[in-house]
Amino acid sequence: MPAELIHILIDLVAVAASVGLIALVMVWVERKVAGHVQRRPGPYEVGPNGLLQPLCDALKLIGKQLFMPDHADPILYWLAPVLVFLPVLLLYMPLPVGEGLVPLDINLGLLLILAFAGLTVLALLLAGWASNNKYGLLGAARAVAQSVAYEIPLLLSVLAVAFVAGSLNLDTVVKEQGTWPWNWNIMTQPLAFLIYMVSALGETNRAPFDLPEGESELTAGFHVEYSGMGFGMFFLAEYANMVVVCSVATALFLGGWQGPVLPGPVWFLLKVSLLMLFMVLIRWTYPRVRFDQLLNINWKWLMPLAVANLLLTAFFVKLAQYTFVK
Amino acid sequence: MEQLAQIAFGVYTLIILCGSVLAVSAKSLVRAMVGLIATLLGVAGMYMLLNSTFLALMQILIYVGAVSVLIFFAIMLTRADAGGEEAASAPLRQNVLALLAVTVVGGVLSWLILTRPVVSSGVPVEVSIEKLGLGLLGPYGLAFELISVVLLVSMAGAVLLAWERRIGK
Repeated sequence: MPAELIHILIDLVAVAASVGLIALVMVWVERKVAGHVQRRPGPYEVGPNGLLQPLCDALKLIGKQLFMPDHADPILYWLAPVLVFLPVLLLYMPLPVGEGLVPLDINLGLLLILAFAGLTVLALLLAGWASNNKYGLLGAARAVAQSVAYEIPLLLSVLAVAFVAGSLNLDTVVKEQGTWPWNWNIMTQPLAFLIYMVSALGETNRAPFDLPEGESELTAGFHVEYSGMGFGMFFLAEYANMVVVCSVATALFLGGWQGPVLPGPVWFLLKVSLLMLFMVLIRWTYPRVRFDQLLNINWKWLMPLAVANLLLTAFFVKLAQYTFVK
Repeated sequence: MEQLAQIAFGVYTLIILCGSVLAVSAKSLVRAMVGLIATLLGVAGMYMLLNSTFLALMQILIYVGAVSVLIFFAIMLTRADAGGEEAASAPLRQNVLALLAVTVVGGVLSWLILTRPVVSSGVPVEVSIEKLGLGLLGPYGLAFELISVVLLVSMAGAVLLAWERRIGK
């Protein structure tokens, strides 16, 4: 067996293990933050400060019976939770964690992430449609309108950074930025960072843009019929996608593993966790938007701003090229 | 490595064939859609084998991530169920025409492949995105612009269709 294959296999196992661990930690963080935002302690009983609570929840989920509703499409119904989780393993591969610490160093890493992230929407759609449930179908319909819309400003804001760096390789983009915060891309592309974070919330279906789930109106949206680990897979994938989105933001805008004093991987994890905490705080601070508001924010604000930002960036990049060459 | 590439070729071919058969034969529109997606993914794999990663990723980003999701949306809006009128088998004339189309296209292609076999199968060179972009805006500018005309026509067609229906109401 060639060495590259073994290399990829080891990476896959490591990624799968870290996804599981991150999801456990994030469930705890989310419930603790939710608790403190609402002036209650959150999980408290199992382990110190409720630290073992998510582990018990996970065991409970695994132990539960898997149900399928009558007249549901059996193949597509079980395909959806698998499909939502599979691409996640691939999305972690091109992320530069530290200097020379890239599981899969390819030139088009950024594009790889963007391409395979699109499969998640498909899985949500299949789940909603195959459940043979009106709430599921409504959730799926919302998921499409939302993710198709929010993908455009996301891509445009990412492209602006790619223009500046002149590369789609995340490792190169990180290396182009300097050690100190004022050398990071967020200083030259603050608008792109803002657009990216807002559209990332929309793409990962996080509150205030969690309309495909919208428990107050759609019970649970696309995954309403899933029990046990069927639901668990969607849950895992949501947190895993959050990590991917925050890691890409870190690499593109916040200098990735670059930082003073501390070693690279520590900086990377620190920045990613701060962004994740930010996303969690937003969820428990802002109310859910209405659907027309959601689409208006995207088409009337994010999209024109992203296009303008991209045009300006292209202009300045070209200008810089001419002035520096001559 | 060459053996691995051959195995990958076999797997991709199998995915493409199974997907396309599912796409045309499935009773449920959504299952047909899944077949189409499998085919598109298989084609992306073929691009990968041809050492054009950019094309493969674009295929996934555009066709799997955007186009098929939009088709899916259309299916959901029409609420076509498995027992609907589309599920009935096609009339004989249509079947004969479809068979004719398949045999003509397939016949020409297989005749070409059999009489003019590919001479070499060396590893293709990877073309960087810079080269691709310069090519699209330089020597192949006309083809590139023509593609945008096709997009414009389809967009205008969609607007026209929506317009007529609104006047009809």
